[in-house]
Parts: sequence; structure tokens; C-alpha cells
Amino acid sequence: METMARPHATLVDLLDRVLDRGVVINADIIISLAGVPLIGVNLRAALAGMETMLKYGVMQEWDQRIRGQELEPKETLRASAMVEKEVPITTALPTYQARRTKDD
Amino acid sequence: MEQGSKTRRQSAARTSSVSEQEGRYVYCVAQGDEEISLGAIGIEGHEVYTIVHNDLCALIHDCPTQPYQSADAEVATAWVLAHHLVVEAAWKRWGTVLPLTFNTIITATERSAEENLVQWLETEYDSLKGRLEILTGKAEYGVQVSWDPAVVARKVAEASTEIKKLEEEIGSKPRGLAYMYRQKLEKLLKKEMEVRAEKEFKDLYGRLSRCMDDIHVEKTKKAERERQMLMNLSCLVSAERYPDLEAELEVISQMEGYFVRLAGPLPPYSFC
Repeated sequence: METMARPHATLVDLLDRVLDRGVVINADIIISLAGVPLIGVNLRAALAGMETMLKYGVMQEWDQRIRGQELEPKETLRASAMVEKEVPITTALPTYQARRTKDD
Repeated sequence: MEQGSKTRRQSAARTSSVSEQEGRYVYCVAQGDEEISLGAIGIEGHEVYTIVHNDLCALIHDCPTQPYQSADAEVATAWVLAHHLVVEAAWKRWGTVLPLTFNTIITATERSAEENLVQWLETEYDSLKGRLEILTGKAEYGVQVSWDPAVVARKVAEASTEIKKLEEEIGSKPRGLAYMYRQKLEKLLKKEMEVRAEKEFKDLYGRLSRCMDDIHVEKTKKAERERQMLMNLSCLVSAERYPDLEAELEVISQMEGYFVRLAGPLPPYSFC
């Protein structure tokens, strides 16, 4: 038996979704390489390699370093991704707070 | 929010001076009518700003009309992460977003890329609005349930009279025959495990689907260490239902030999 992992997302969770999901524009206004999916074969291979490396902990330090940098200004993701405390969805979900307090 | 003061005019001025930047990389569509810059938060530090049509905006950066390609895993991953962080920033600011697939770059045709983008927003307006409405107040979660095959095999063996009988018989057989019996036993156990896995999947799916607004069943990932993945779901969950999901997962994680992984909240990548 094991206590459930607290909510967080890893790079692998993101790679799957950012590359394979999301709205697709079906029109001739987007660039494509003669019908080849935009995510190039080499990029896909590189990322598959990254998943494997992350899984075996090879890139862990890099992962933490780069995520530490990239996530700096975004408090909520930082909390949900790195800190071992539960992030209730009510605070993690976007709110319209930002809109009200925006500076322009 | 931070750095929200730069205007579109500045972006436009910059664009015309850099003629090779005629593509528009699109991160997501949000429900918002502000023409603003979110600052240099994009892929490779590009400035991300909005293009508005009615009450919808697309978050974009200017780029050459070439897809992002790299054989370097670090570079490629940093791009993907940057894409995600822009979508996340928009999600926090505007509440609901429709993320675009990575590497969506609008190009100029007889019209400029920007005009093409606005026209796309116009043509797809009703559809985009409808999808945004469905996603309001909801987040995506990844739910993965795994089990320890050794623990489950023991339980399956205990519950099956046929397996128990075979086990007893093995002891009394001569070596050659015992080997054959063991083969038979393993085959039977494997079959019983598959039946059990299927039953468990249906049961878990039924329990979890009650706490979700939408579900995608994903392929299970390869087994690692002592864990075999039983189910891999992408779930769309409203804020009201989330506590139920968490409670249900907590119950499952307490079952002997079971492991639960919950990832999120994420922007609704799989549901747009």
C-alpha cells in the first residue's frame, strides 16, 4: 500500500500533451512540410530520448535546473510542480483575479 | 499582471522592421479582448502578445515561417516547456484557454499571417466560443493506476481453486512432469491475471467516471520496476467535482498492491 502521490505534473506529462493534443488548424494558412506532421521526425526522436533519460534519472538535475528557471515567476505551477504539499484545485485553477488587478 | 503595458502598436512597428519574421507562432486562444504583450515569456524568449477578434484573442509570437526542429533533446524540451508555460500564463490570466498543438505557425498567403489568423478566429468563432464555454471552470488531470503484479498474482492464485489444485499436484509429480505442470500453472495464472485486469479496469473506470466531466483512455505506459500500469486516463474535471476524484483516488491508493498517480491541474490540452 502506498499513499497517493500529490498533484504535480512532470515533463513527460507535458510532452505527451503539448505535442499530440491541442487545437489543430486545418487550413492552408499553417506551415507544413508536404503533408508531414509539423513536429519533425528528428524532434520527436529527440523528445522520445528525453523521456527515456528522465525516466532513468539521467537528466534529473537538468530537469530540475531548467524547470527551476522557467518556473520562477509562476508561483502556482511552481507550487504544484515542485513542492510536496497539496495544492487545492480552488487555488490552482485560474481565476479572474488577475484581470481585475491588471495594470492597464 | 506582470508586464502588461506594452501595446500592439509597438509590436506592429517591430514586425515591419524585421521582415523575415513573417510567421505567427500560436500558443492558444483565450476568452479576452485585451491587446497586450505578456512580455518575453515565449519560446526562446520571444515576446508573446495577443491578436484580438471580438472577445477572443490568440497568443502569438513573431517567427520565421519554419517549424521548430532540433535533434537536441534539451533544446526541444525547453521549447515544449516554454509553449506550456505561455499556455499556463494565459490560463491563469483569462481563466479558460484552448491550447494549440506545438509548432502551429501561421504563414502569409495572399494576405499577411496576422490577417490570416484573424480570419481564422472569425471563421471558427462560434466553434471556439462553444469549446471555451465547455471548458470553463475545468482542468485536465492525468490519472494513472498501476498494480504490483506479484501481489495481485498471489491474490489471484489464492482465489482460484484450479490454480490451488495444480499447485498441490506439482509437489507429488516427478521432475519432468512437475515442469510441465508449472508451465501450465503459469499460463493459467497469466490468463487469470488478464481477466482480473479487465475486470478491475471496468470497475475503476466506473468509479472514476462519476467524478469527471470527460475522459480519454490513453495507452498504458510500459511497466517499470514492480509496477504494471492498469489504466492511464486524461480527465477533464470541474472544480466542484475535484474533491470527489481525489477522495476516490485516495481509496484506490489504499488497496493492497495498487499505486495511483495524479498529474495536474493542467490546461485542457486533451479536451479541445
